[in-house]
Amino acid sequence: MLQYTIRRLLGMIPMLLLISFVVFTLAKMMPGDPFGGEIDPTRTDPKYIEEMREKLGYNDPIYVQYWRWITKFLQGDFGISTTHKMPASEIIMERIPNTLLLAVTSLVITYVFAFFMGMYAGRKPYTISDHVIAGYNYIALAVPSFVAAIVAIYFFSFKLNLFPYSGSVAIGLQPGTWEYYVSRLHHVALPALVLGLMSTASYTQFLRNDIIENSRKDYVRTARAKGVKESKIYNKHILRNSMIPLVTFLGFDLVTLVSGAVITETIFTYPGLGQLFLQSVATRDYAVVMSITMLLSIFTLLGNLIADLLYGIVDPRIRLE
Amino acid sequence: MKKRWFPLVSFVMILSLFLAACSGNKQQTSTPKNDSNGEATSEPKAGGVVTYAVDQAPEGFFDPAFSGSFIDSEVQKFMTEDIYKVDDNLKYVPNLATWEISEDKKTYTFKLKQGVKWHNGEELTVEDWKYALEVLAHPDYDGPRFNYVENIVGAKEMKEGKADHISGIEVIDPYTMKITFNEVRINNLENLWPTPMPRKHYEGIAVKDLSKSDQVRKNPVGLGPFKVKSMKPGEYIEFERFDDYWQGKPLLDGVVVKVIDPSVAAGALEKGEIDLLAIRPADLEQVSKIPHVRVEEANGVSYSYVGLRFGHRDQKAMKSVADFEKFKDQNLRHALLYAINRDALVNAYMAGKAKVTNTVIPSTFWVAADPKELNDYKYDPEKAKKLLKEAGYVDKDGDGFVEDPSGKKFTISFGHYAGPATFEGRAQAIIQSWRDIGIDAKLATGSLIEFNLYNEMKDNDDPSLEAFFGSWYVGADPDPTGLWGSHAEWNYGRYVDEEGDALIKETSSEKAFDDAYRKEAFVKWQKHFNEKLWALPLWEVIDLYAVNNRLQGVHINALTSLNDVHKWYVAE
Repeated sequence: MLQYTIRRLLGMIPMLLLISFVVFTLAKMMPGDPFGGEIDPTRTDPKYIEEMREKLGYNDPIYVQYWRWITKFLQGDFGISTTHKMPASEIIMERIPNTLLLAVTSLVITYVFAFFMGMYAGRKPYTISDHVIAGYNYIALAVPSFVAAIVAIYFFSFKLNLFPYSGSVAIGLQPGTWEYYVSRLHHVALPALVLGLMSTASYTQFLRNDIIENSRKDYVRTARAKGVKESKIYNKHILRNSMIPLVTFLGFDLVTLVSGAVITETIFTYPGLGQLFLQSVATRDYAVVMSITMLLSIFTLLGNLIADLLYGIVDPRIRLE
Repeated sequence: MKKRWFPLVSFVMILSLFLAACSGNKQQTSTPKNDSNGEATSEPKAGGVVTYAVDQAPEGFFDPAFSGSFIDSEVQKFMTEDIYKVDDNLKYVPNLATWEISEDKKTYTFKLKQGVKWHNGEELTVEDWKYALEVLAHPDYDGPRFNYVENIVGAKEMKEGKADHISGIEVIDPYTMKITFNEVRINNLENLWPTPMPRKHYEGIAVKDLSKSDQVRKNPVGLGPFKVKSMKPGEYIEFERFDDYWQGKPLLDGVVVKVIDPSVAAGALEKGEIDLLAIRPADLEQVSKIPHVRVEEANGVSYSYVGLRFGHRDQKAMKSVADFEKFKDQNLRHALLYAINRDALVNAYMAGKAKVTNTVIPSTFWVAADPKELNDYKYDPEKAKKLLKEAGYVDKDGDGFVEDPSGKKFTISFGHYAGPATFEGRAQAIIQSWRDIGIDAKLATGSLIEFNLYNEMKDNDDPSLEAFFGSWYVGADPDPTGLWGSHAEWNYGRYVDEEGDALIKETSSEKAFDDAYRKEAFVKWQKHFNEKLWALPLWEVIDLYAVNNRLQGVHINALTSLNDVHKWYVAE
């Protein structure tokens, strides 16, 4: 297993290089650059724009730019954001706690709801409740997240006054105080609910199908024949086996933790990585765009690796050599 | 049997969602309609905190010398103050200092007010301003504002590293400073950096590190009526009253600048969480239904036009080369404008909140020509057809579209950038106007073009943009050289008009120091442009602001809603 892990980790290096090259080229091929967006003639001077392009090397051939970027990147220099004039790594680190909080909360919500819905639907397939659960899940999957976010804000923030509609914390609270943390949770609740409740579909339906499939297997029949209690069969024997395929999702969830929810974060003005990524693409802030992309690529690859390793642990039929 | 329930259940669920959405709408429409009756005059009183909303996150600089975005400059208005300010007629008037101009019009002597305090308690002296000017001219300075000092004698030398100070600045005493410019220009003052920097506060920081320093980004010091209390980047900035403000203690206890998503603006206004925000014409209907919110408008300083291509830009020589003949005929250009029903477009796509214009100097400027002096190109498709015919553009092959005088097919490829939903309709309407008079016009590339790509295409003189939609926000200086001079970078039509250039030059000549002469010169150029029609002026944008009735004392002008914020007060 150790050997397998090392082999996989080594295999990631050329993959990441390839990804970095493709993403860098694509980013640079986007029309415009940080100085080409909205021109405000009262504030911008054509000479300054030209000077900055030259200074930042935007006029060099793309392979020269790539080489310059990748050598610095490997030495841990992620570049300076052109928009914020701060190191990209600092800007990203500023956002990560927010994104993690939102992601963890929404994942917990997804897990809890999906677990109970899936268990119930799997145990009583083809009943009305099963269909209601399926109906809910597919509607949630189909409704675009911005619609869900706006509807949620309208009802829960503006009509019922239950949750704040923007930001990550109430204005003027000092970090470290009790009120500060309560306010953080209060602010994260609504976006997390929107995110969490809208993405239960895949978990629920996978769990349901596995439970149905497992309940027809021989070991279940044996257990029933032995007279094991029905609830014990489902909650112990079947559930344990049905969890295995869900491990695949864990790998992806690792990426969700850092990728942030681009649209939901934007509508809730929740300053996480997703919102930052969107803004950086719009302003062609190459250093930030590239750093976030590379961060996400690394997490995706790691996530896959962890999922594969977990398979080996939870399912004795799979051996990793 | 059981399976039948499934579609029924989902149907009921979907239906209930729709019903929920509908009932939500109904609730909104049933709120009583209300016109701006909020200008109730109550006595100004102290106290209270108001929230000013912006729909984009500021980049986080609290010194104008380093920021480039419009949002940042709005936020800075609460806490910075300038040597001069711009009044409602967009004239530059004294603020922190008064000035006298020398005989030869090259040297300005500034006299600073005494006793003006920085937020950290230091007193403002001309050294602070000199320091700011020298930061801008420093070779390591990484902001975009060098053009605000380059006209001072010796600034270029400092930028190139040949000098360690600007030789054209002479400090006489702590409140008096002389600045000498390298040339006589009417707008030397307008192009002079007006914001002093807190020299003591920035002490010990190298110029190249200033823009990332905490002194600029986290605990800034300014001269304005409010000082920064706390902030969360990308979310909010909390300002508190600065008691020693030089124009007297501000009435409000504080101001919160909050970043919100435009989609929730109307809801937040209704709930009273926002007191002031700039809105788009599309939001007008919804916002004007909120009883405790008034909508205030002001003629802004931006306008839209249709650019026409006359050539390309020789990037090396920095010159426009007129080598594209399509729009050479003046009658054709006139016909193109007569064909467009601009009033109808404004009503259909901008909720009526724009003013049709025939010049490229917004009417708020004191130098703008009286509309009566200009040809108003009122919508007249018959006249447009007649003009086309006179110019030799007639339909020879009977396909319903005109051919050019040499008999070749005549087409126009018109480009427009992507954005809110109304852009598509507006672009199609302009194209249809031209098709109606028999010109085969098409949308360039077949769809609206992503904004960054569109700008790049304009920069590179992309051949598919034969005609293109454009807008300019011109700020407080009306000088048209940078936008409409023949060889200006942003003359995207690339026309070459020496007569026009001479007229533009006259507006900033030595004689133009006399206001009457300057206005006359501006009118002459506008008449010339109005006749030549190098670009088709469409309309001036009217700026709209939603204001909660509890907030009083707001004075809106063409540039901003944040004038004299120390006079704002809350009426309950």
